[in-house]
Amino acid sequence: MNIVTENLRKTAAKLLQDKEVEMVIGYGLGSEAVRTQPVFITSPEDAEKLVWNPFCANGLTKYLSDLKTHAGKIAVCVKGCDSRGIFRILQDNIIPRDKVYVIGIPCTGQLDYAKLAAKMDVSGELKEFAEKGDDFIIKTSKGDFTVKKSESLQDKCNTCEHHNPVVADYMAGDKVDLPSVLDSYDQIKKLEAMSPEEKTKFWLSQFERCIRCYACRNTCPGCTCRECVFDNIKPDWVGKEVNVSENELFHLTRAFHLAGRCVECGECERVCPVNIPIMLLNKKLLKDCKELFNMQTPGSTEEGGSTFNEFRLEDPEEFM
Amino acid sequence: MMANKSLKKDQVNNLLNKIAQSSQLIAPIRSENITRFKPVQSGEGVVLDYQNSVVPPKDYFFPQSEKMFSYDTSDPSWAITPEAGVPNRVLFGVRPCDVKSILLLDKVFDAEFRDDLYIDKRNKTTIVAVSCNECRHTCFCGAFGINPGQAEGADILLTDLGDRYLVEVLTEKGTTLVGSCSDLFADDDGNGPAAKEKAVAPAIEKQMKIDLEGVKAKLDNMFDHPMWDTESLRCIGCGTCTWVCPTCHCFDIVDFNNQSAVGYRYRCADSCQFANFTRAAGGHQPRPSKKERTRQRFMHKLRYFVDRYGDFGCVGCGRCLEKCPVNLDIAQIIKKVKEVG
Repeated sequence: MNIVTENLRKTAAKLLQDKEVEMVIGYGLGSEAVRTQPVFITSPEDAEKLVWNPFCANGLTKYLSDLKTHAGKIAVCVKGCDSRGIFRILQDNIIPRDKVYVIGIPCTGQLDYAKLAAKMDVSGELKEFAEKGDDFIIKTSKGDFTVKKSESLQDKCNTCEHHNPVVADYMAGDKVDLPSVLDSYDQIKKLEAMSPEEKTKFWLSQFERCIRCYACRNTCPGCTCRECVFDNIKPDWVGKEVNVSENELFHLTRAFHLAGRCVECGECERVCPVNIPIMLLNKKLLKDCKELFNMQTPGSTEEGGSTFNEFRLEDPEEFM
Repeated sequence: MMANKSLKKDQVNNLLNKIAQSSQLIAPIRSENITRFKPVQSGEGVVLDYQNSVVPPKDYFFPQSEKMFSYDTSDPSWAITPEAGVPNRVLFGVRPCDVKSILLLDKVFDAEFRDDLYIDKRNKTTIVAVSCNECRHTCFCGAFGINPGQAEGADILLTDLGDRYLVEVLTEKGTTLVGSCSDLFADDDGNGPAAKEKAVAPAIEKQMKIDLEGVKAKLDNMFDHPMWDTESLRCIGCGTCTWVCPTCHCFDIVDFNNQSAVGYRYRCADSCQFANFTRAAGGHQPRPSKKERTRQRFMHKLRYFVDRYGDFGCVGCGRCLEKCPVNLDIAQIIKKVKEVG
């Protein structure tokens, strides 16, 4: 067992034992070797279900919104990227700070399920994993597999701004000493250079695939409206019909609702069943907000709120 | 029925091109790292060695959205104009699990209640299935009595035998299709069926073994089981499982008219995982939380469908367990039901 898993179990058991929290949200073993699943621990004995490994891809902060009416205090495990979602949810007044206990987990990157599934039999039970240089050795009930970390990381982990959580009441491991890598937005610059016709063609070919499962919205720590505009029946701002026009309206509306608020955790893109590059939309807006309003990545600090809720006299106005 | 035929691999493209000249051809295409069934003009880009399409081909019988009719309420007769039906179509390259799912949908749309929109598409579609030589790690069709080398319900079944396909003609529609392109087919030399058994063996051996013995009987008494409280906590209430499912068939009916007299009525698939599914006028919601919605999906597949139609409402295609963002895995749920029920 790795030291982080050990710390998580001890801490969770103690928090529950001392009744400091009523629930701990963390990662448990999944139904396949390279998956974990979110677990909701409510008794000290169950704390041993918690694990930490390179397959903890899910962000868990959104569950705080689901559980906002829960009577007791809730502890939630966060990686660096997810931890920005804590500030998002607090700044949006979804849940008060004193009802949340943040367990931070320093992270060197999470492996991508689809990339692993293409290289190995992912279906067994996870026995052990070890990291040796760029090699990841994954031992499962189906055999031992070695994959290259550099080839198996989630794309988003190659540009990680916060390897260490930006907020934590308890840190479950030693701080990771890796440089913060900011996205150079090269892909966005390429898209910006396209003609309007090329952009339309590109995006419509992406939106055409959308099946409107709303997984992107439902996993997003920034999507916490009590009644989402897309669920409204009257008026039906966006129709339920699945076609490229309604799909486009859905994606663009969602992107604008998150402009200056998206914490760049990448969950929307991870959960998309049809591989729509949703983060390209969010990153375009992040890039614009950063350039125009000198914004840092939302959720990086306790203060700051969201760009569109603030007004400064020196804000640029040349587009008005 | 017509005797077994054989189709050389280098003739597949010619066959697809020929079909596309006389019918609408719908076949699996791979792009952006996913395989989907799309209408195509020729055999170019069609993939037959895919393991599973992300979205099942049920869309061509029960589309996620479809217009029912248009109207003009300013006209004294309301000028109701039904939608034209579909042209004759060939749905090519369907996997045996998905063929079975269409037979299950028949029980819903073409039995006690006869759904004209569905039946029109069924009647005008010839289904060409392809056996599975390999399976995904998420496949478990065997649990539901499905054989990767058989496709009852399809009109033709192809099996990849290396340099050629064994062509089993299963129905009159299949006979007509093969007859219309007879120069592309040769007679099977008699070795085809034995070679098929060998070819599909890996898909039978390697797939997940799930035993459903006793699951239905246990679920009959598990409506109030605390398992649903715990298993539903991680659900995020998205519709991924239902949209990628080949047997999910719930729908909603909506008018599109921009608040005017002229408009059209459409129906679109609806997901029992959505918070506004089953919400009644006045706001009453009989399934108010994720617990009731999660329970509904698994109960519908493994209990209610059996009660109503005498068969499970799942074909073990594995799509939902591969795509669920929070690893809410039906195979794991089945195991759990057996443990705790």
